[in-house]
Amino acid sequence: MKKFSRKSITALIISVLFFSLPVLAEEKITAGVAANYIQTFKELSTAFEAKTGIKVEATFTSSGTLYTQISNGAPYDIFLSADEERPSRLFKEGLVEKPFTYAAGQVVLWSAKKDFCSSNDWTKAIKNESIKKIAIANPETAPYGLAAMKALQKAGLYDSLKPKLVNSQDIAQAFQYASTEAVDAGFCALSAVYSEKGKAGCYYKIKEAPSIVQSACVLKSSKNLKNAQKFSAFLISKEAVKIKEKYGYR
Amino acid sequence: MDYTALYITLKLAMVTTVVLMILAAPMAYMLAFTAFPGKSLVEALIYLPTALPPTVIGFYLIILMGPKGIAGSAWGSITGGSLLFTFTGIVIASVIYSIPYAVQPMKAAFQKLDRRLLENAYVLGLSRKSAFFRVILPNSLNGIVAASVLVFLHSIGAFGVLMMVGGSMPGETRVASIAIYEAVESMDYHKAGILSLSFIPISYAFLLLVNRLNKDSSNVN
Amino acid sequence: MSINLSIKKKLKFLDIDISFSCPDGKLLVMIGPSGGGKTTIIRMLAGLDKPDEGKILFNNRAWFDSRKGISVPVQKRRLGYVFQDYTLFPHLSLYDNAAFAAYDKKDVDELFELFRISHLRDRKPHMVSGGERQRCAICQAIARRPKALLLDEPFSALDVVTRRGLREELKNLKEKFSFPTIYVTHDINEALYLADEIFPVVDGKADYGWMQRTVARDQSLRAARETRLTLAY
Repeated sequence: MKKFSRKSITALIISVLFFSLPVLAEEKITAGVAANYIQTFKELSTAFEAKTGIKVEATFTSSGTLYTQISNGAPYDIFLSADEERPSRLFKEGLVEKPFTYAAGQVVLWSAKKDFCSSNDWTKAIKNESIKKIAIANPETAPYGLAAMKALQKAGLYDSLKPKLVNSQDIAQAFQYASTEAVDAGFCALSAVYSEKGKAGCYYKIKEAPSIVQSACVLKSSKNLKNAQKFSAFLISKEAVKIKEKYGYR
Repeated sequence: MDYTALYITLKLAMVTTVVLMILAAPMAYMLAFTAFPGKSLVEALIYLPTALPPTVIGFYLIILMGPKGIAGSAWGSITGGSLLFTFTGIVIASVIYSIPYAVQPMKAAFQKLDRRLLENAYVLGLSRKSAFFRVILPNSLNGIVAASVLVFLHSIGAFGVLMMVGGSMPGETRVASIAIYEAVESMDYHKAGILSLSFIPISYAFLLLVNRLNKDSSNVN
Repeated sequence: MSINLSIKKKLKFLDIDISFSCPDGKLLVMIGPSGGGKTTIIRMLAGLDKPDEGKILFNNRAWFDSRKGISVPVQKRRLGYVFQDYTLFPHLSLYDNAAFAAYDKKDVDELFELFRISHLRDRKPHMVSGGERQRCAICQAIARRPKALLLDEPFSALDVVTRRGLREELKNLKEKFSFPTIYVTHDINEALYLADEIFPVVDGKADYGWMQRTVARDQSLRAARETRLTLAY
């Protein structure tokens, strides 16, 4: 084995440590975004970047996870939740600026199998023998999961169907389970229906589930306040409305 | 195709390896050459990260490094920022996660040395410190390099701990293992496939190196 | 100058209790059956192990004194020590090994000439024979210009022919030593050949009758009858 000289090892160590020093960033902001808004958000951020030159990077996960991370000091610039409650809690705790509504979504029941939707009532279809597993986003961390659970309770189906429910981390994962047919059907965000894979299946609207009001807020600890506020303004601009309506949001 | 995640993984692995080799040397020395009351308790404590599920390690690290934890608040008062969700934070997590993988091989390499070599060094006038640098280190190089390769490989595979401590901050803490998981989640199998494939040549090359090093040391003896 | 020791140590299977002295320029051989404590004694003399009680004096200066709480660390005793094996550092060449703690590097060249290993100076220990390694180990110890030279069965791992040769070289060299030499062996022929004084150690204690009994018992030890020997009392 070749013996490494002391000099070359020292040089290697110094360059590695130097390597890890923070690099000067271009103009960019980081967003923590509820998983249901993935596709919409990607299009929004591309449009925003084209318009202002500010890059938007995002982490997509459940609103509950994002809330915990922010409470622990996560360095997001802006938080897009799938509910109103979490941003308002953060506002009370003094961690964020005043929240604003940026979208209203719907929870639907989707399946990859087109014959699932032959009935005219989701409560009937879901009780079918052939439906063995149903995906639902963890109600404790995902507002869409919570809405789905409430709808099941309202329809009096929650207790009987509980053994068939499969919890997923967030609403996007619920759709993933359903579209890969790991489960027979899943409670997903309406926006999922508009995607390529979503169009390949079919869905039921759920009247027992109220509209899901989603609000966002800028973090006070943000190091890019100006850009974050620019982005908030963009989120509710006319251009943004056009984009989100494409995905079923109001 | 965005390769930032791979870059962060490699960067994290390299920094972890350098930091850990320096930290592990005195620990391995202590375990290999000294005796003191409670030594087996200390040894078990050092090896604890191998016995704990990564999420348990992550949990305790969050408590320690969060804004209200000992480490987190100290960091906050010095730098004004949080320790969690930063590259520094995941370096700390990665180091703790891999401590046993550095200490154990180094200790084994040190123990392979015949005691009489060390004793002769002392007879010839070397202090314990000089003996470490001039006799122990040069004669356990193979073991030390093998330890650093193991730490490197172990670091690039870290997932649970890093997810909890680092979140998935793009460009900062989103390592390749997390990026792959997220790609699968959002059904971008193309991205997941490319990231996964790139691991194979890296890991394989390092394994070959470890193999070669182990053969070398058995030949010389 | 001389070495004087009188020490006791309690081990698991052995109780050591001995005293001896060795003046400058003399070679004292510690001999006896294995397991008798010879190695432990020489290690305590070197400072690698500690006696439970007693004194070790060099030139009337205490290296160890249990009553006064003195214990000079091995590094400061300036000794030369030759082990049976593993004395040389594997990562250094023979020359670098011998020069490691040399008082004056020129001594190394002279010693190498004397022991006829100059042509091997750039080789590493694993690339030379056992006998050549031990020669180098002796050079390493002597180059230090030690206050005393300690050898613990230095030739035991070598074949008979090499042993005889090295024994002879050591005896010749010994005449030039100004320091005391302590030599441990279990080979009586070797002891009789090299020693100025013989110190038999059995079960951790001096046993002056051992030599007589062993020599008398073993008819092949003709050398005993042909050599004058002094026993260290």
